[in-house]
Amino acid sequence: MRGYLVFLKKELFEYTKTYKLLIMVLVFVIFGITNPLVAKLTPVILKSFMTDGIIITLPEPTAYDAWMQFFKNATQMGIIVMVILFSGVLSSELSKGTLINLLTKGLSRKSVILSKYTCMVLVWTVSIALCFGLTYGYTVYLFPKEDTPNLLFSVSCLWLFGLFLLAVLLFSAALVKSSYGCLFITVIVMAACIIMNIIPSIHRYNPISLATDNMGLLVGSIEASSLYDAILVSSLFSMIFVSLSAMIFQKKQL
Amino acid sequence: MGILEIKQLYKCFGHHKVLKGLDMDVPEHSIFGFVGKNGAGKTTMKIILGLLKADSGSVTVCGEEVRYGETKTNRNIGFLPDVPEFYGYMNPLEYLKLCGEITGLTKSRIKTRSEELLELVGLKDANKKIGGFSRGMKQRLGIAQALLNEPKLLICDEPTSALDPIGRKEILDILLAAKGKTTIVFSTHILSDVERICDRIAVLHDGKLALCGTISENKKRHRHNGFAIEFENEKDALLFENTEELKHPSINLSRDGNAVTVLLTDSNMDGHFILDVLSQMRIVPLRFEVMEPTLESMFMEVVQ
Repeated sequence: MRGYLVFLKKELFEYTKTYKLLIMVLVFVIFGITNPLVAKLTPVILKSFMTDGIIITLPEPTAYDAWMQFFKNATQMGIIVMVILFSGVLSSELSKGTLINLLTKGLSRKSVILSKYTCMVLVWTVSIALCFGLTYGYTVYLFPKEDTPNLLFSVSCLWLFGLFLLAVLLFSAALVKSSYGCLFITVIVMAACIIMNIIPSIHRYNPISLATDNMGLLVGSIEASSLYDAILVSSLFSMIFVSLSAMIFQKKQL
Repeated sequence: MGILEIKQLYKCFGHHKVLKGLDMDVPEHSIFGFVGKNGAGKTTMKIILGLLKADSGSVTVCGEEVRYGETKTNRNIGFLPDVPEFYGYMNPLEYLKLCGEITGLTKSRIKTRSEELLELVGLKDANKKIGGFSRGMKQRLGIAQALLNEPKLLICDEPTSALDPIGRKEILDILLAAKGKTTIVFSTHILSDVERICDRIAVLHDGKLALCGTISENKKRHRHNGFAIEFENEKDALLFENTEELKHPSINLSRDGNAVTVLLTDSNMDGHFILDVLSQMRIVPLRFEVMEPTLESMFMEVVQ
């Protein structure tokens, strides 16, 4: 337990000192601010391009457009930035040999895996919370009196998907030596999830539903209860992947 | 009971057998020089630290058996890797604090130990980030972190191999200073380092110990019947070289100016025989010396 806390502190210190935390937070803050703005300004921008001959009729932007931007950015760029940033989570320490020193001091390998996961989850949570908070604030300001149902639930689903993805990332990092290998496996797992999503019966249990059904939840085309299975599966697999990472890392020859 | 005991250790990488039944016993408060071919020393050390899995055999540190993947026995060990790597964004004090917290030292203890050790290794005024450290400075910080929890056993992996002569001397002096407080095992390829600070030596050859024990013991055991005799002039030397009694297959003579080196390979003969020859010839040499084996000659002999 002591090792876990000490190493967690070191991880957080590392993320601040190596600007990884800054990059993550900055990316998500920029998204948070621009999401509602882009929604609000898109018609204005398009109008300025219009010459006399062309007439485009655009519907009035709504809060839904702002949230559409939010989910699009967070699930695409946001997730990509996160995965790339965290892909060296184990490999950088192993290839440089910085971890060996601490392991020979009695730090248990389990603590390393658990604190690394905790730290990634913390960074992801802070980033997505900031992004959500900013988008929410601006949306309420720019589009007052518009109600978006299931919003918190939808964002929580996305957050849980992040946890699942980080567990996959950690598992791949424990499995292979290089950060590219780690990226590769993570991408393969994601691709498999996306491909399997085509089959309707799997969609219900597929973790990726948590990152694709968000807008459906907001506009009401998807019932919240239809995601319960996916939530269960994601939570379960996150735990399995983290435990597997710890087991593999325990047996790894360093 | 020794502080570190290795019994029948086997390890191979693929078809390459690195250790073939290594037995070793390191008594407390010794400086143990570990000389071997490239790779063998590091493999052994990593097994002791539980970082590598041995194929068979056992390792005990302070009476506790080392188990692969677990790090319990490591609380008694300080380890200095050959190229110690630290988090470049920390300064030495921050790094030592991290190490201290992992080993479970109290805050005040960490503070006093860190200051003591940085003083010992000469990094007291180096308050910059470790990222900007030279190789020698990292090596010194490596010793400081290894000694932080006052380990009963300090393991150093080629601590001097990449340093300039001054850096080497300083590291050896630091190790020598740590002697009374801990047991040191260090691997090296530099025999003069072993000669300088070690009291015990182990030579690993072909996966086994080829030589083990205190240096003086080994020197005694490997003392050949070699003698260096220096004469007053070349005439005496020539006369001695060509004596009939010395023309024997078990006697090796070589002359260089006034000096003659005699090697007796027959164990029945000793220095008395040569002294008899000299007195018969009525020659008093300027110098008559029993040749001490050097570590190098001992090493060459056991690995052949």
